[in-house]
Amino acid sequence: MSDTTINADATQILGGGDAIIEVDGVDKLFGDFQALTNINMRVGAQEVVVVIGPSGSGKSTLIRCINRLERHDRGRILVDGIELSDDIRNIQEIRRETGMVFQSFNLFPHLTILDNITLAPRQVRNMPKGEAEATAMELLERVKIPEQAQKYPGQLSGGQQQRVAIARSLAMKPKVLLFDEPTSALDPEMIKEVLDTMKDLANEGMTMICVTHEMGFAREVADRVVFMADGQIVEVGTPEHFFDNPQEERTKLFLSQIL
Amino acid sequence: MNNPGTDAAVGGELAQALAADHRPLHSDQTPAEWVKNNLFSSALNSVITVLSAAFAGLVLYFGIQWAVNEEWEIIRSNLRNFMIGQFPKDELWRPWAGGLALVGSVGLGSAGMARNAFDDAIEKGLPTERPTWLGLVRRFWSILAFIVIVLTFTRTILPTLGVLAGLGLFVAGRLIGWSLPVGARRFSPHVILVGLVALSTIIAGSGGLVAIVGGLVAALIVSAAVGDRIDRTAISGKVAALAIPLLGGVIVWFVMSTVDSFGFGWKDWGGLYLTLFVTVAGISTGMPLGILLAIGRRSQLPVIKGFCVLFIEFVRGVPLISLLFFSGFMLPLLFPPSAGIPDGTTRAMIVITLFSAAYIAEIVRGGLQAVPKGQTEAAQAQGLSAGKIQRLIVMPQALRAVIPAMVGQFISLFKDTSLLAIIGVAEFLQIATIANTQQDFLGKGLQPVTYAFVALGYWAFAYTMSKESRRIEVRLGVGTR
Ligand SMILES: Nc1ncnc2c1ncn2[C@@H]1O[C@H](COP(=O)(O)OP(=O)(O)O)[C@@H](O)[C@H]1O
Ligand SMILES: [Mg+2]
Repeated sequence: MSDTTINADATQILGGGDAIIEVDGVDKLFGDFQALTNINMRVGAQEVVVVIGPSGSGKSTLIRCINRLERHDRGRILVDGIELSDDIRNIQEIRRETGMVFQSFNLFPHLTILDNITLAPRQVRNMPKGEAEATAMELLERVKIPEQAQKYPGQLSGGQQQRVAIARSLAMKPKVLLFDEPTSALDPEMIKEVLDTMKDLANEGMTMICVTHEMGFAREVADRVVFMADGQIVEVGTPEHFFDNPQEERTKLFLSQIL
Repeated sequence: MNNPGTDAAVGGELAQALAADHRPLHSDQTPAEWVKNNLFSSALNSVITVLSAAFAGLVLYFGIQWAVNEEWEIIRSNLRNFMIGQFPKDELWRPWAGGLALVGSVGLGSAGMARNAFDDAIEKGLPTERPTWLGLVRRFWSILAFIVIVLTFTRTILPTLGVLAGLGLFVAGRLIGWSLPVGARRFSPHVILVGLVALSTIIAGSGGLVAIVGGLVAALIVSAAVGDRIDRTAISGKVAALAIPLLGGVIVWFVMSTVDSFGFGWKDWGGLYLTLFVTVAGISTGMPLGILLAIGRRSQLPVIKGFCVLFIEFVRGVPLISLLFFSGFMLPLLFPPSAGIPDGTTRAMIVITLFSAAYIAEIVRGGLQAVPKGQTEAAQAQGLSAGKIQRLIVMPQALRAVIPAMVGQFISLFKDTSLLAIIGVAEFLQIATIANTQQDFLGKGLQPVTYAFVALGYWAFAYTMSKESRRIEVRLGVGTR
């Protein structure tokens, strides 16, 4: 596939690198309701894939299946060559390799910012306290709020909290970061600081899957845009083609509503 | 839970709260103006003020009249009964020694914890204040006042000396605990626990109790340590998860069979000492048990869930009195046959523990439901094990949300211990009844005297408990939300 085509195949990594995430024929059911239908997708190293689609189309479900916050019912999911199974060790291993940033931040309110970030490295990777705190301070520098280290989440603005959440997920040195609408719960004036942090990460070569409604971000940062509707992948393409020359009617309709 | 950092702005926050409570005279207000503005601002307000003042005056007048004229000899001659019941006279050193050990360790441990919180706040650059002696007196004034009142009823100087020794030990413990090195201070809570076990051991005069408590603690520690490493999806993990608690139970059961008597004063002690001990024991053993029951109730395994639901709903569904009655028939079934029917004190201890565990479990369950799902998910996404998520993320938040309900439960447990009389335990309230049936006082109508004394005793402790709970709330509320 050349760089300019646009179709419904999300398994083609641009430039043809190795896949870090492979999703093969995945179905997900909630009771009788089919939330995902035959999802096939690959994400290469250092690639940024933006997932868009109307509310309820299964975007969250898809990325939550990748780190087993949801269990998929059919198909295979591989993260860095490890296949997700019911084996808890397997799941833990994959969770260590993937970081996730939530719409509602989900910082731990009873712990300081520093403790929020050092918790997993210390408890999961058995990192010594000093080392974990040094790493945490580096990360806080990176998201530009080192002076907040000793505060509690409740004392920070939404934008600051989300940047802490990003720092927290980076502390485990993940191979992939999953973002689930990281700016949707933010006041408009704080969206930029979070998007800028995400852009920095993308420029540094972090592999990311971002569910977002920020079309400017998608256009600027995404290597590929994936459009989902009704639990299926409808259309995939580079941002230029996706936004300027969509093929599917549903994509056009969605874009006309959101842009 | 172990997050002394939140001691943070205690000083400031508390000062603010107090300031709001007191509404001190404004500097530009003369006392006369203050009285006018607050007490006689309107016709209705004036009437209410006058009526309330008249009522308060009447109560005070008759109260003092009564207290002065009443026959207090009954308290004086029954003072020891009120404090420790029929504890054998020759063994009186036991409650004293045990009490002193506990007071000393509480001083040591509490100062260590206070220092940890203080240093933590300093490190985080949060406003904080050193605890002061005056502050301690304010926090515990009702208990101190009651002790003073009790001492005025003593006939010899010995109890006063004992109390002074306790005070000295407490002060020494505070001073030492505050200045211990960090490494040693980490064990501050354990010091208090050791004090409690020491107290019960000295009073029981038997190593069997230590074995039981030690066995239980060891089983808990082992299961907590192993719990995180167990892979519950593998068969071996499932077996281990079931086998460890079972093994712990069997060990405790065998230890119990070797204890046929706790000896000395265990069976005979009573009074306020026993009431307090049963309460503390009921809280400190009922709490971990209740937390386990609450977690078990949310378990995916039907057997565990079913057992927890059944236990909680059964205990909560019947009155404490009937549980106490039944304990005579039911508990022997749990003990090895060689043990016979356990004595009243042991039964009381067990029933109170199980009873409070069931109520605490429901309180904790409410707290667990209040923790958003996103908290667990964020921790899962970071690769934390299920055990660590419970211990480090969910439980601390759940418990902090239910502190007021929990302390309410503790206070009512404290008062519920008065029901122990029906299985022959001479707890604090029962002594009042016993005293009034003594030959010297029979038919003299001295019930009001004894009950007033007992009520004052209950109040002194319950009031402090409820004040301390508000203090903890303020501390934990700071900076968390
Ligand atoms: N835990 C759940 N139980 C039942 N239905 C769910 C659950 N989570 C999501 N769904 C349903 O699955 C569909 C896809 O949800 P989601 O992935 O959250 O969509 P999106 O993130 O694209 O808005 C929705 O119809 C939603 O109602
Ligand atoms: Mg969503």
